[in-house]
Amino acid sequence: MRVMVIVKATEDSEAGGMPPAELLADMGAFNQALIDAGLFVDAGGVKETRKGARVAFSGKDRTVAKGPFPNINELAAGYWIWRVKDLDEAIEWVKRCPNPMPGPSVIEIREMFEMGDFDEAK
Amino acid sequence: MRVMVIVKATNDSEDGKMPTPDLLEQMGAFNQQLKDAGILVEADGLRPSAKGARVAFSGQNRSVTKGPFPNVHDLVAGYWIWKVHDLNEAIEWVKRCPNPMPGPSVIEIRPLYEMEDFDRSK
Repeated sequence: MRVMVIVKATEDSEAGGMPPAELLADMGAFNQALIDAGLFVDAGGVKETRKGARVAFSGKDRTVAKGPFPNINELAAGYWIWRVKDLDEAIEWVKRCPNPMPGPSVIEIREMFEMGDFDEAK
Repeated sequence: MRVMVIVKATNDSEDGKMPTPDLLEQMGAFNQQLKDAGILVEADGLRPSAKGARVAFSGQNRSVTKGPFPNVHDLVAGYWIWKVHDLNEAIEWVKRCPNPMPGPSVIEIRPLYEMEDFDRSK
Protein backbone atom coordinates (compact mmCIF):
# COMPACT_ATOMS: atom_id res chain seq x y z
CA MET A 1 0.00 0.00 0.00
CA ARG A 2 1.01 3.61 -0.43
CA VAL A 3 1.05 6.10 2.42
CA MET A 4 1.34 9.86 2.47
CA VAL A 5 3.69 10.90 5.24
CA ILE A 6 2.94 14.49 6.18
CA VAL A 7 5.28 16.76 8.11
CA LYS A 8 3.03 19.11 10.06
CA ALA A 9 3.93 22.78 10.05
CA THR A 10 5.43 24.51 13.08
CA GLU A 11 6.11 28.16 13.81
CA ASP A 12 9.61 27.62 12.44
CA SER A 13 8.39 26.28 9.09
CA GLU A 14 5.73 28.99 8.88
CA ALA A 15 8.44 31.61 9.40
CA GLY A 16 10.02 30.37 6.16
CA GLY A 17 13.71 29.99 5.62
CA MET A 18 15.75 26.92 4.97
CA PRO A 19 16.58 24.03 7.29
CA PRO A 20 20.13 24.11 8.67
CA ALA A 21 22.79 22.31 6.61
CA GLU A 22 23.07 19.57 9.22
CA LEU A 23 19.35 18.70 9.01
CA LEU A 24 19.52 18.76 5.21
CA ALA A 25 22.39 16.25 5.38
CA ASP A 26 20.53 14.03 7.90
CA MET A 27 17.38 14.13 5.75
CA GLY A 28 19.42 13.32 2.67
CA ALA A 29 20.77 10.22 4.42
CA PHE A 30 17.27 9.24 5.59
CA ASN A 31 15.90 9.66 2.06
CA GLN A 32 18.73 7.53 0.72
CA ALA A 33 17.82 4.80 3.24
CA LEU A 34 14.19 4.99 2.03
CA ILE A 35 15.33 4.71 -1.59
CA ASP A 36 17.63 1.76 -0.78
CA ALA A 37 14.74 0.00 0.98
CA GLY A 38 12.52 0.53 -2.07
CA LEU A 39 9.97 2.57 -0.09
CA PHE A 40 10.53 5.98 -1.57
CA VAL A 41 8.03 7.13 -4.21
CA ASP A 42 8.02 10.91 -3.93
CA ALA A 43 8.84 13.78 -1.57
CA GLY A 44 8.20 17.48 -1.53
CA GLY A 45 8.56 20.51 0.70
CA VAL A 46 5.68 22.94 1.06
CA LYS A 47 6.42 26.65 1.33
CA GLU A 48 4.98 28.69 4.18
CA THR A 49 1.28 29.58 3.97
CA ARG A 50 1.85 33.27 3.26
CA LYS A 51 2.78 32.09 -0.27
CA GLY A 52 -0.45 30.11 -0.62
CA ALA A 53 -4.21 30.55 -0.95
CA ARG A 54 -7.46 28.83 -0.08
CA VAL A 55 -10.67 28.49 -2.04
CA ALA A 56 -13.82 27.80 0.02
CA PHE A 57 -16.64 25.92 -1.77
CA SER A 58 -20.20 26.45 -0.61
CA GLY A 59 -23.02 25.75 -3.06
CA LYS A 60 -22.12 27.76 -6.16
CA ASP A 61 -19.88 30.18 -4.21
CA ARG A 62 -16.09 30.13 -4.45
CA THR A 63 -14.36 32.42 -1.94
CA VAL A 64 -10.62 33.01 -2.24
CA ALA A 65 -8.43 33.85 0.76
CA LYS A 66 -4.69 34.48 0.43
CA GLY A 67 -2.31 33.22 3.13
CA PRO A 68 -0.85 33.34 5.73
CA PHE A 69 -3.27 31.07 7.57
CA PRO A 70 -3.66 30.70 11.34
CA ASN A 71 -3.85 27.37 13.19
CA ILE A 72 -0.40 26.14 12.36
CA ASN A 73 -1.27 22.57 13.40
CA GLU A 74 -3.64 22.33 10.44
CA LEU A 75 -0.92 22.86 7.95
CA ALA A 76 1.46 20.71 5.98
CA ALA A 77 5.13 21.68 5.68
CA GLY A 78 6.25 18.71 3.63
CA TYR A 79 5.41 15.18 2.60
CA TRP A 80 6.63 11.89 1.27
CA ILE A 81 4.83 9.15 -0.60
CA TRP A 82 6.09 5.71 0.49
CA ARG A 83 5.23 2.20 -0.62
CA VAL A 84 5.04 0.00 2.49
CA LYS A 85 3.60 -3.36 3.55
CA ASP A 86 1.45 -1.91 6.29
CA LEU A 87 0.95 1.03 8.63
CA ASP A 88 3.35 -0.39 11.22
CA GLU A 89 6.20 -0.49 8.73
CA ALA A 90 5.56 3.18 7.97
CA ILE A 91 5.51 4.02 11.69
CA GLU A 92 8.87 2.28 12.23
CA TRP A 93 10.40 4.28 9.40
CA VAL A 94 9.00 7.56 10.69
CA LYS A 95 10.54 6.83 14.10
CA ARG A 96 13.94 6.61 12.36
CA CYS A 97 13.43 9.97 10.65
CA PRO A 98 15.45 12.91 11.94
CA ASN A 99 13.17 15.43 13.64
CA PRO A 100 12.31 17.64 10.65
CA MET A 101 11.96 20.75 12.82
CA PRO A 102 14.19 22.60 15.29
CA GLY A 103 11.56 22.12 18.03
CA PRO A 104 8.89 19.49 18.77
CA SER A 105 7.04 18.33 15.66
CA VAL A 106 4.53 15.81 14.35
CA ILE A 107 4.60 13.55 11.31
CA GLU A 108 1.28 12.08 10.19
CA ILE A 109 0.96 8.87 8.18
CA ARG A 110 -2.11 8.46 5.98
CA GLU A 111 -3.09 5.50 3.89
CA MET A 112 -3.79 6.39 0.26
CA PHE A 113 -6.64 5.24 -1.94
CA GLU A 114 -5.70 3.03 -4.86
CA MET A 115 -7.42 2.97 -8.23
CA GLY A 116 -9.37 -0.18 -7.35
CA ASP A 117 -11.05 1.58 -4.42
CA PHE A 118 -12.86 3.96 -6.75
CA ASP A 119 -13.93 1.20 -9.10
CA GLU A 120 -15.82 -0.32 -6.18
CA ALA A 121 -17.70 2.94 -5.68
CA LYS A 122 -19.06 2.80 -9.22
CA MET B 1 6.28 26.50 -10.27
CA ARG B 2 4.72 23.45 -8.67
CA VAL B 3 1.87 23.73 -6.20
CA MET B 4 0.30 21.20 -3.90
CA VAL B 5 -3.49 21.57 -4.08
CA ILE B 6 -4.91 20.13 -0.88
CA VAL B 7 -8.51 19.04 -0.41
CA LYS B 8 -9.23 19.57 3.27
CA ALA B 9 -11.09 16.79 5.08
CA THR B 10 -14.74 17.10 6.09
CA ASN B 11 -16.93 14.92 8.30
CA ASP B 12 -18.05 13.11 5.14
CA SER B 13 -14.52 12.21 4.06
CA GLU B 14 -13.56 11.23 7.61
CA ASP B 15 -16.64 8.98 7.70
CA GLY B 16 -15.22 7.17 4.69
CA LYS B 17 -18.06 8.23 2.42
CA MET B 18 -16.94 7.50 -1.15
CA PRO B 19 -17.62 10.11 -3.83
CA THR B 20 -20.83 9.62 -5.80
CA PRO B 21 -20.51 8.31 -9.38
CA ASP B 22 -21.64 11.78 -10.52
CA LEU B 23 -18.80 13.50 -8.64
CA LEU B 24 -16.29 10.90 -9.84
CA GLU B 25 -17.34 11.66 -13.40
CA GLN B 26 -17.06 15.44 -12.89
CA MET B 27 -13.65 15.03 -11.25
CA GLY B 28 -12.56 12.80 -14.13
CA ALA B 29 -13.51 15.52 -16.58
CA PHE B 30 -11.73 18.18 -14.49
CA ASN B 31 -8.60 16.03 -14.28
CA GLN B 32 -8.71 15.56 -18.05
CA GLN B 33 -8.80 19.35 -18.49
CA LEU B 34 -5.81 19.68 -16.16
CA LYS B 35 -3.99 17.05 -18.22
CA ASP B 36 -4.87 18.70 -21.53
CA ALA B 37 -3.59 22.03 -20.17
CA GLY B 38 -0.30 20.37 -19.15
CA ILE B 39 -0.86 21.23 -15.49
CA LEU B 40 -1.51 17.86 -13.86
CA VAL B 41 1.53 16.16 -12.30
CA GLU B 42 -0.10 13.92 -9.74
CA ALA B 43 -3.41 13.30 -7.96
CA ASP B 44 -4.32 11.08 -5.05
CA GLY B 45 -6.84 10.57 -2.28
CA LEU B 46 -6.27 9.68 1.36
CA ARG B 47 -8.28 7.23 3.39
CA PRO B 48 -9.90 8.55 6.59
CA SER B 49 -7.49 9.30 9.43
CA ALA B 50 -8.88 6.23 11.26
CA LYS B 51 -6.46 4.24 9.07
CA GLY B 52 -3.51 6.48 9.87
CA ALA B 53 -1.09 7.32 12.67
CA ARG B 54 0.95 10.20 14.01
CA VAL B 55 4.46 10.24 15.40
CA ALA B 56 5.29 13.16 17.70
CA PHE B 57 8.97 14.20 17.90
CA SER B 58 10.25 15.90 21.04
CA GLY B 59 13.96 15.74 21.78
CA GLN B 60 14.87 12.06 21.59
CA ASN B 61 11.24 10.94 22.23
CA ARG B 62 8.98 9.50 19.56
CA SER B 63 5.34 8.95 20.62
CA VAL B 64 2.98 7.10 18.31
CA THR B 65 -0.78 7.76 18.22
CA LYS B 66 -3.12 5.79 15.98
CA GLY B 67 -6.02 7.57 14.24
CA PRO B 68 -8.76 8.65 13.97
CA PHE B 69 -7.75 12.22 14.75
CA PRO B 70 -10.05 15.00 15.92
CA ASN B 71 -10.19 18.43 14.34
CA VAL B 72 -11.32 17.44 10.88
CA HIS B 73 -10.04 20.78 9.55
CA ASP B 74 -6.49 19.72 10.39
CA LEU B 75 -6.68 16.83 7.98
CA VAL B 76 -6.00 16.26 4.33
CA ALA B 77 -8.49 14.21 2.28
CA GLY B 78 -6.73 14.40 -1.07
CA TYR B 79 -4.30 16.40 -3.17
CA TRP B 80 -2.97 17.22 -6.57
CA ILE B 81 0.44 18.40 -7.67
CA TRP B 82 0.15 20.94 -10.48
CA LYS B 83 2.69 22.78 -12.58
CA VAL B 84 1.47 26.38 -13.02
CA HIS B 85 2.89 29.81 -13.91
CA ASP B 86 1.85 31.44 -10.66
CA LEU B 87 -0.50 31.24 -7.68
CA ASN B 88 -3.27 33.06 -9.54
CA GLU B 89 -3.34 30.47 -12.30
CA ALA B 90 -3.76 27.78 -9.65
CA ILE B 91 -6.57 29.75 -7.97
CA GLU B 92 -8.42 30.10 -11.28
CA TRP B 93 -8.18 26.34 -11.86
CA VAL B 94 -9.38 25.54 -8.34
CA LYS B 95 -12.40 27.78 -8.88
CA ARG B 96 -13.29 25.58 -11.88
CA CYS B 97 -13.02 22.39 -9.81
CA PRO B 98 -16.23 20.61 -8.86
CA ASN B 99 -16.82 20.82 -5.10
CA PRO B 100 -14.99 17.68 -3.97
CA MET B 101 -17.35 17.15 -1.01
CA PRO B 102 -21.13 16.80 -0.60
CA GLY B 103 -21.16 19.84 1.74
CA PRO B 104 -19.07 23.02 2.04
CA SER B 105 -15.33 22.37 1.64
CA VAL B 106 -11.97 24.07 1.32
CA ILE B 107 -9.12 23.53 -1.12
CA GLU B 108 -5.73 24.94 -0.15
CA ILE B 109 -3.03 25.82 -2.66
CA ARG B 110 0.57 25.65 -1.45
CA PRO B 111 3.67 26.33 -3.56
CA LEU B 112 6.34 23.64 -3.27
CA TYR B 113 10.04 24.12 -2.77
CA GLU B 114 12.12 23.46 -5.85
CA MET B 115 15.71 22.23 -5.97
CA GLU B 116 16.94 25.78 -6.66
CA ASP B 117 15.55 26.91 -3.30
CA PHE B 118 17.79 24.44 -1.51
CA ASP B 119 20.86 25.15 -3.66
CA ARG B 120 20.70 28.77 -2.59
CA SER B 121 20.92 27.89 1.10
CA LYS B 122 24.25 26.13 0.69
